[in-house]
Amino acid sequence: MKRLFVLLVLMMSLAVANAADHAQGMHAAVKVHSPFVRLMPPTQPNTGAFMVLENTGKKDLNLVSAESDVSKVVELHDHVMVDGMMRMREIEKVTIPAGQRAELKPGSLHVMLIGLHQPLQDGQMVDITLVFDDGSRHGIQAPVRHPGGEMMPMHGHKH
Amino acid sequence: MSQRQGRERVLWLLIAVLMVAIVLVALLWKTPDEPVSATHTQLPLAAAPVGGDFSLSREGDAFALSDYRGQVVLLYFGYTFCPDVCPTSLALMRQALRELTPEQLAQVQGVFVSVDPQRDTPARLAEYTHFFHPRIMGVSGSEEQLAEAGQLYGAAWARAESDSAMGYSVDHSSSTYVIDPAGKLVSILPHGASAQRIIETVLPLINNEE
Repeated sequence: MKRLFVLLVLMMSLAVANAADHAQGMHAAVKVHSPFVRLMPPTQPNTGAFMVLENTGKKDLNLVSAESDVSKVVELHDHVMVDGMMRMREIEKVTIPAGQRAELKPGSLHVMLIGLHQPLQDGQMVDITLVFDDGSRHGIQAPVRHPGGEMMPMHGHKH
Repeated sequence: MSQRQGRERVLWLLIAVLMVAIVLVALLWKTPDEPVSATHTQLPLAAAPVGGDFSLSREGDAFALSDYRGQVVLLYFGYTFCPDVCPTSLALMRQALRELTPEQLAQVQGVFVSVDPQRDTPARLAEYTHFFHPRIMGVSGSEEQLAEAGQLYGAAWARAESDSAMGYSVDHSSSTYVIDPAGKLVSILPHGASAQRIIETVLPLINNEE
């Protein structure tokens, strides 16, 4: 009888732990930091959106697509170097390991907004919905910024 | 309770504790993965870069690199439909140029060579480069002229068809070539070189007296 009780407790603790873990995966465990969209000259049909994705959950998450009303198509892209040349290609997902961050930044992973319906304005807010492989959706607002608008933190460089 | 029963109970408890421990470890265990966004490393060059003068065209007029003696030229090969690599590089060049005094800036010229003359009309090229900085000009030319210039500097590019909605893209090397006021190639900055690094490369080459 006692053995059965111990087993029961064990199974219950397993179930509870599992459920807690599952629940965390179901709620978008993603935090989005400092998103922005790159301002481009008005004739440019495409631009990029960048941000830092933080996975606060206990399971790896994959960003599998993104949606936005500002362009015809939204794709996930990355760069690889092939034969000394930078090659940008569409990718299927961006993995954000549990408890870690994935940085979507210029020259690296990014969201491409392709076929802009109209030129974006400096300071405009762009609505983007991020879709993850656990089915969760995460809406963000990314401001449009001129690239190279601000200098990176520098060490004692002043005029 | 017999001694045997007692021992058995202790054993079961031990097994239970062990299993809970295993479950906890399994739940909390995180594999330390590599950071997702890899940084760019220096590009191997397509040909040994020697530098030198070349001729192209700029907004319908002839462009000769030799006309820019007395200035530091920041030379970059790309194309305006370039979705991310070129804007990233030109933004860094812009950041660097914005840190210079007007006297310093007058001695520096950015030259963006379009390797996609098919789509990059002179007007489009001018709008694109000026968007980043008025001291960056756009030039291009025939395939032969471009190949000659590219060969001198070790720049490489290749048209790539893709399934992306953007149409064809052009894979290309992404170095910035720094040419001193005497026309000599003195430095090749790798892709992603910071604005600070561009400034540090340029300042010793120009006259910094106010």
